[in-house]
Amino acid sequence: MTAIEVRGLTRRYSGGFEAVRGVSFEVERGEMFALLGTNGAGKTSTVEVVEGLSRPAEGTVRVLGHDPFAERAQVRPRMGVMLQEGGFPPDLTAFEAARMWAGTLTSPRPVDEALEMVDLTHRATVRVKQLSGGERRRLDLALALLGKPEVLFLDEPTTGLDPESRRNTWELIRALLREGVTVLLTTHYLEEAQALADRLAIMHRGRIVAQGTVSEVVDAYPSRISFVPPAGVTLPFVVDAEPSGRVTLRTNSLQSSLHELLAWAHLNNVELSGLDARSASLEEAFLAIAEEAA
Amino acid sequence: MRAVAVGQAELKLFWRNRTALFNSLLMPLLLVPVLIAVDASGVPLVIGLVGFALLMAVYYNLVTTFVARREELVLKRLRVGELTDPEILVGAALPSVVIALGQMVLYCLVVAVVTGVDLPSRPWFLLLGVLGGVAIFVLLAAASSAFTRTVEMAQVTSLPILMACLFGSGMMFPLTNLPEVLAKVLQYLPLTPVLQLLNAAWADGPVIKPLTVVAVWIVLGTYAVQKWFRWDPRR
Repeated sequence: MTAIEVRGLTRRYSGGFEAVRGVSFEVERGEMFALLGTNGAGKTSTVEVVEGLSRPAEGTVRVLGHDPFAERAQVRPRMGVMLQEGGFPPDLTAFEAARMWAGTLTSPRPVDEALEMVDLTHRATVRVKQLSGGERRRLDLALALLGKPEVLFLDEPTTGLDPESRRNTWELIRALLREGVTVLLTTHYLEEAQALADRLAIMHRGRIVAQGTVSEVVDAYPSRISFVPPAGVTLPFVVDAEPSGRVTLRTNSLQSSLHELLAWAHLNNVELSGLDARSASLEEAFLAIAEEAA
Repeated sequence: MRAVAVGQAELKLFWRNRTALFNSLLMPLLLVPVLIAVDASGVPLVIGLVGFALLMAVYYNLVTTFVARREELVLKRLRVGELTDPEILVGAALPSVVIALGQMVLYCLVVAVVTGVDLPSRPWFLLLGVLGGVAIFVLLAAASSAFTRTVEMAQVTSLPILMACLFGSGMMFPLTNLPEVLAKVLQYLPLTPVLQLLNAAWADGPVIKPLTVVAVWIVLGTYAVQKWFRWDPRR
């Protein structure tokens, strides 16, 4: 069953600037879909329309079968949102901010439980202005979870988190996914998308330029083999060497290319120092896409 | 009502904000000698204090509240929740309104006891005037916040309405002392019809026209808020 359906979404700002141009994607129930892109690619502009904050200039958006803008009252009780930049009054404590939010919801979970989920229990009585940036992010996540959402929107949820908190947040998100929560994530941490997302789309200048599972997106890009050959050895193929002497091969069939290379080295008794062979990572795919599209 | 949750949080913030406390609770006391000096006593003093509470505790206080919450991104955060837009505004306005109403009751009782004001003969006009005034100044505060970049700027952007109402609504001196043409124009200020209604609670006076002007201001204010109110900080 489809939880989020976006068709031909275009968003235009009052100055006429088109931040999103004909974006389409679907997110199934219980799935995590990640929107990636460079800054200014249109991720947040897209998500804000899906959240129902703004009406699309063109195209349609459905969340749990409803128009999130026109039928806000039907959709909002079933979704949780963590904005890229959301705020709380600085003079409220974390607990007070969460209790205020709970008071606006149809069926909230207990405030203590939500703070516990994001490891903020020990900071409950601290004023928001005294929380660290990462703690504020986690408070924002706690509010997004307070309403027991079926669909969760996370806009750069781990920006400003220390590595341990990020790891904990990932665990929490995985647990939510196991419970069947649908998640739409935007992030510029590619390893975050790689670790969590079932499927993803890469945006560039308002358009989706690649979409699929992590391996589908990555498979389109060549693997790399790199090493430093001994001086004076003539390689059986033409490559450019870096000033350090390191050479890098790109190949679409990593296994057989590597086999050929190693067989040749063995036969000729050549030592390949610093040998490194790897499939394309999401990062490489991402950088290649950004470069191509530029 | 869900907006009450926001109102409760706002009330806490109000007690923690010294500037707002001073403006709402102590400023009206500074006004008493002024009003006494211009020879207001009894009913005019009561009406003046109610008008002042509308201007400071409701209007000025709410301009700063709306701007502060917008710049802190609180309004933006609330907007992705379940509350409707009007509920968010009502919730944020609630404590200021409740405090203003409390002040009005308190000051009126004090003045009534000290100067011996009679009970209003037509109290429903008192009620209509106060409720209409609250509605007008909540809406005008929301509209003014749209033209106010920072909390500090609120001192400037609120001046036109504050000054016009303070001196042009018959609060400091009766409009009958002014040239007729000017007095006629000033009847259309947002506070003037409110004070006229309050007056009509004690003395016979016109009520149809002030009621109409109040209604028009509420419509204009609603339109202005829908058209200009900003939920996001200006960038």
